[in-house]
Amino acid sequence: MAELIGSILVLLGAIFHFSAGLGMLRMPDAYTRMQAGTKASTLGNTLILLGLGFYHPEWSLKLLIIICFVLMTNPVSSHALARAAHMIRIPMTRRTTVDALRATRQRRRSGK
Amino acid sequence: MLELFVYLLCGSILASGILAIRLGSLMAAMVSGGLASLFAAVCYVLLGAPDVAMTEASIGSGLSTLIFLYAIRRTATAKE
Amino acid sequence: MRRAFVILVVVLFGLVFTSLVIAHNERHSLRPLAESYVKLIPQELGAPNVITGILLTYRAFDTLGEVAVLFMVAAGVGLVLGASNKRRKSSPRKVVETARLSSEIVQSGAQILAPLIAIFAAYIIMNGHRSAGGGFQGGAVIASGVLLLVLASTRYRVDLEFLSMTESAAGVLFVLTGIAGLIFAGGFLDNRMLPLGQFGAFFSAGAIPILSVLLGVKVGCELSVIIDRFRA
Repeated sequence: MAELIGSILVLLGAIFHFSAGLGMLRMPDAYTRMQAGTKASTLGNTLILLGLGFYHPEWSLKLLIIICFVLMTNPVSSHALARAAHMIRIPMTRRTTVDALRATRQRRRSGK
Repeated sequence: MLELFVYLLCGSILASGILAIRLGSLMAAMVSGGLASLFAAVCYVLLGAPDVAMTEASIGSGLSTLIFLYAIRRTATAKE
Repeated sequence: MRRAFVILVVVLFGLVFTSLVIAHNERHSLRPLAESYVKLIPQELGAPNVITGILLTYRAFDTLGEVAVLFMVAAGVGLVLGASNKRRKSSPRKVVETARLSSEIVQSGAQILAPLIAIFAAYIIMNGHRSAGGGFQGGAVIASGVLLLVLASTRYRVDLEFLSMTESAAGVLFVLTGIAGLIFAGGFLDNRMLPLGQFGAFFSAGAIPILSVLLGVKVGCELSVIIDRFRA
């Protein structure tokens, strides 16, 4: 019974990872690709590790620590990448309407 | 089954090596080098050598790629 | 002409490697030397991890040679890149103002992650004799932690004198431990000078944890110094 739940969770995690890869191929520009890659793959990682915890209950504390670590590092690194991409002025797709970071940067530059 | 994974990973190492030569920009080539290191580390785990895999992952994928980045930045600014 | 030569060299390399791969047939039992190591190390040295036992006792002299090679690399990098850094030290304020600050999320994230990375490195070093790990791996992880701090905030200054002195002290203590092994036990860098303890406990396998710690500190300091010298 526990193995069935674990297998379903691992399968769900694999589906999310696949959708992350598909999103990185199909999205129009760099920023949306980063968003697809980070969010879906973080959730996929979490689900796969939870499913593994059902298979081996004695590893559950270590897997929980790994999940916390992944949740701390993946979003921070993607945030740093996106800010660096904005700084070197990678063009956004025409469908984006709001650019909050550019307004903030212009205000800071003109204010200084 | 294990052998199939090892063959797939060795093919990926070859592919990222060829990518590192054929790509245009230096930064992308450097990332391909780090990718080859990562696949090699997974290979080592599958072949039963976790110590070597840890060392390869931290030094090859992490430190070596970043030292390449610093070297690229230094030679780029020295050209001007 | 040059292209034909390059293609010839690549084809020859390919032939050599292909013949190696084809002629490789997998063994199903260990060679006599490996088998004797696997039998001998849990009995004599009391270390469950065979690799660390070989690296830090039976072939410890080669480890000392590797440590010397790393030291030469760090000294070479310092010699080549150290001259331009003197200009940097004279005008630190100008460099700080023109460097781009990273955002607050990245800085806070790096400040939370760096102690965790240090704990993880200490765990890898201290468990070298029980599970996978050891001195080199822990040293590389410490250097990754320092690299994270260097990349996250541009104001972070690595204290070069402290690192150089720690690295040299660790190297000297490594050799002194070896000489102590010569006096108190069988030979140079023998680990039986300290009691072997219970098999698989945290403080066991003689002097192997001490040697792992010294090795990890030395490798970590060296790689951090190399990273800081490379940073323009």
